[in-house]
Amino acid sequence: MKVPLSWLREFVDVPVEPRKLADDLTAAGLAVDAVETHGGDAVLDIDVTTNRVDCMNVYGVAREVSVLYDRPLRPLELTMQEAGPPAAEALTVSVEAPDLCPRFCARVLDVRLAPSPAWIRDRLEMVGVRPIANVVDLTNYVMMEMGHPSHAFDLAKVPEARLVIRWARAGERLTTLDGVHRTLTARTGVVAGPQAALGVAGVMGGASSEVSEDTRVVALEAAYWEPLAIRRAAKDLGMRTEASHRFERGADPEGPVAATARIAHLLAKIGAGRARPGLIDRYVAPRPVRTALLRPRRIEHVLGGPVPGESARRILTGLGFGLGPGERDQVTVTIPTWRGDVSREVDLVEEVARHHGLDKLPFTIPPGYHVGGLEPSQALERAIRVYLEGAGLTEVINYSFVSDAQAGRLVPPRARLLNPLSDELDALRSSLVVPGLLRALQTNLRQGRRDVRLFEVGRVFRADRGAVEEVPTLAILLAGPSRPVHWSEKPPPSDVFHVKGLLEGLTERLGLGDLDTAGSAEPPAFLHPGQCAAVVWSGKRIGWLGAVHPDVAAAWELRDETLVAELHLPTVLASQPPAPRVRPLPRFPAVTRDLSVLCDASVAAERLVAWVREAGGESLRAVAIVDRYEGAPVPAGKVSVTLTLRYQDPARTLTGDEVQASVGRVVEELRRRGAEIRGE
Amino acid sequence: MLGLHEIRDKVRALRAEIDRALDEARDGSAVQAVRDRYLGRKSGAVTALLKSLSGLPEEARRDAGRELNALKQEVEERLETARRRIGERERESRLGRERVDLTLPGRRPAAGRLHPLTATRHDLEDIFVAMGYEVYDSPEVEDDYHCFEALNMPPDHPARDMQDTFYLEGGSGALLRSHTSPGQIRYMLANPHPPQVRIICPGKCYRRDEPDLTHSPMFQQVEALVVGPGITLADLKGTVQAFLHALFGPQYPVRFRSSFFPYTEPSVEVDLACIACGGGGCRVCKGTGWLEIMGSGMVNPAVFEAVNHRLGRVVYDPEAVTGFAFGLGIERVAILRHGVEDIRLFYENDLRFLEQFRR
Repeated sequence: MKVPLSWLREFVDVPVEPRKLADDLTAAGLAVDAVETHGGDAVLDIDVTTNRVDCMNVYGVAREVSVLYDRPLRPLELTMQEAGPPAAEALTVSVEAPDLCPRFCARVLDVRLAPSPAWIRDRLEMVGVRPIANVVDLTNYVMMEMGHPSHAFDLAKVPEARLVIRWARAGERLTTLDGVHRTLTARTGVVAGPQAALGVAGVMGGASSEVSEDTRVVALEAAYWEPLAIRRAAKDLGMRTEASHRFERGADPEGPVAATARIAHLLAKIGAGRARPGLIDRYVAPRPVRTALLRPRRIEHVLGGPVPGESARRILTGLGFGLGPGERDQVTVTIPTWRGDVSREVDLVEEVARHHGLDKLPFTIPPGYHVGGLEPSQALERAIRVYLEGAGLTEVINYSFVSDAQAGRLVPPRARLLNPLSDELDALRSSLVVPGLLRALQTNLRQGRRDVRLFEVGRVFRADRGAVEEVPTLAILLAGPSRPVHWSEKPPPSDVFHVKGLLEGLTERLGLGDLDTAGSAEPPAFLHPGQCAAVVWSGKRIGWLGAVHPDVAAAWELRDETLVAELHLPTVLASQPPAPRVRPLPRFPAVTRDLSVLCDASVAAERLVAWVREAGGESLRAVAIVDRYEGAPVPAGKVSVTLTLRYQDPARTLTGDEVQASVGRVVEELRRRGAEIRGE
Repeated sequence: MLGLHEIRDKVRALRAEIDRALDEARDGSAVQAVRDRYLGRKSGAVTALLKSLSGLPEEARRDAGRELNALKQEVEERLETARRRIGERERESRLGRERVDLTLPGRRPAAGRLHPLTATRHDLEDIFVAMGYEVYDSPEVEDDYHCFEALNMPPDHPARDMQDTFYLEGGSGALLRSHTSPGQIRYMLANPHPPQVRIICPGKCYRRDEPDLTHSPMFQQVEALVVGPGITLADLKGTVQAFLHALFGPQYPVRFRSSFFPYTEPSVEVDLACIACGGGGCRVCKGTGWLEIMGSGMVNPAVFEAVNHRLGRVVYDPEAVTGFAFGLGIERVAILRHGVEDIRLFYENDLRFLEQFRR
């Protein structure tokens, strides 16, 4: 909303510089975005909040200024000399839909169409309205000045000189002033003649009754429309006009009287015509006088600082509120008709606060009542991020939206958006890896980057028969060299054991216990079937890890082997790992024995270790695979594995015979399982 | 058989010989060879001489023995000196060979980073946790009730113009939250210690904005809600100022101005003196000297009433409790702190951007 300072000064003295005025209005809730100069005049560009329709005009702003600086607000000049036969003889008005139009006011004006005088044209241009001709300009001028929209019909083009205010018939057609042919719905209001609609109520007039050069007599309409009706009509028609913008936010029910009078006054003032005697006023659904109770003590109770009673009284009165006599601790406040946004005591407190000055209130901090902090699950989620950051991974954040087509059948079905921004972002992700992390990898490969180590923690959305479940999820992606490149070596490329190791290290470090992997009966389609596994934690499958399938890698133009993992976190985060309990340090020495074994390459390492553990007995504390070799001279289909067996007893030193006996049992067991012992 | 004189001559000659040999010894084995040659138990020259004394008269034998033993001891000392000298030389030469060029780059462990928005969110959370707040996680997929209706934005409310919301297919009315404020409602409904509330609710939000320099269809907010008896607008001011000073530094003034949000009354917009220019006016603050940093206000009694209605009893009596709420964009904070000029960079995941964030 643009407000020229000269126009403002017509109604109130402004005792400060424009810059200061802008700051003061801003502090009081009328944010001045800019102060422009326009031919020597300062023009304030005010961002009026949606609730303050009363300030979407010069006079409303003038009222605020008068309270800010305690200066009188000059009334709008509304006097006029009426002439000719009574208006009611030239025009009849019937309101058939009080639920659409509580009040309809009309005047009949004899006019001489001509361009407006320069001062009107200048002001309109300053507030961003294109001048057309005096009668139309005046309706716009008055809307910008005191806020109430109005509309001029060429009376000669109103059939039977009769205006009927009713709901449109479904499918009723009308050409609006902008030349668009429109089909109306039954929840749109119209101002009609005896038959056809002449204009869309509160939104835009129609072409058939438009004022033109030949117009001699005007039927001037100013109404109070039901806000919801105008909002729905404007929405249905996809129209947003200056008029609908004001009506749908709740105009002043007294506005029609003042607006028609002001237009008639200005019409005579510029010598462009006269009003015929009488205001046609169909106030079919009178708005009640609205009041609210104000307990002055409540002001300090909400604000936390004192406001002198005299000050509060001055502010409210200046803004047009009527203060009843009331008790000492309770006053009945009459709310002005133009303040549809105010209805309760707290609204009155806000009025006092914003003019008293928020800067005058103290700064306090409320007393505490309990200890704050992160939930254990939140602390754990942080620890996961910090671990991965420390392990050299960079966190990324992808949009929660994905392209449904791009994610395709690779990952679980997705919930689709009803009103997406584009096909690229038309569904909620059901996986962090596909397409999110793959896309992030691609982005960086295109920049020539090879070593990429990423993670993301965020929610995926599981679509389940109409309901959508949000699942906190962790995903990891590794590609290219496993370490930063260095002059001393060519780092080995990341492989599937890097990603597995990260997850093992994570659960170990966070005290979450062991992580298992299991062959997956149905590996995700985008994983290499020979290099993937389900991830099992606490007996539950929580995700998977593996190498990206070569076909998918090719489709995504991935250069290096790409390793990924995705884990659903709810069960992990819900666990509350206990504080670690310290074990006493061993007092007796450990003994280690190495064992070289040749066995079928198909034997899973996990099973081999399990056999050894089982056969080794209680004093065998740990079994580690320290070497593994396939290829010549090891025969094809075989693998050579070296195990280190660690023996220890908490209560005594083990004898060589005891250890040897255990190793013997292990050797025997391995042989029974078909392995060959190559050295001990 | 040698006489005493001859032995003395021999000793003199041997001493000179040994000195020469040791001077010429260049490594440990040469020194050992000298020792073997003169002091070796079987064939050492000094040893042999000692053995030859047995034929001398007792007095001469004693004198010669004394001289020879002195020589032997002297030789041992010289051998030790030679060994030490050679050892030192060898060590020095080894240290020289082991020299490296330390102007070469070191071997750094792979350095990971938290996303700048995560790091910023953690900072915000830490400040509030220190002030006794809980951190409350709330769903991203919401319904109309929690996202709008309970927040005093019934259907057809003009304030909904301010929100342009994504809806999900399927006719359930499910939507993506356009702000973190529904977290207020969910917490109040499930409050473990009503009517006291002191929470922040961080998280992702979604609006139908085409991505550009300043808009992203997904962004992150932090919502704060404090409810209890006697909470005032002054408490809001004090808390917000303490928070902003903790985050940006106490040198930046904070400005409070009246505004409008349906779920707060009075509503207050909070500005921070421009951290780029200090308040003089610059490109970052569009010449105003102030940065809009957050929306806030006193909880609208209509919100308490909506929650009470859903609970079926008066838990948050607007006569007995008041509250304040505020919300700010995490991107906004990160943009200001790090001088990011394009909000889209946060979601493009280009490592050239992400790896610039250090702490």
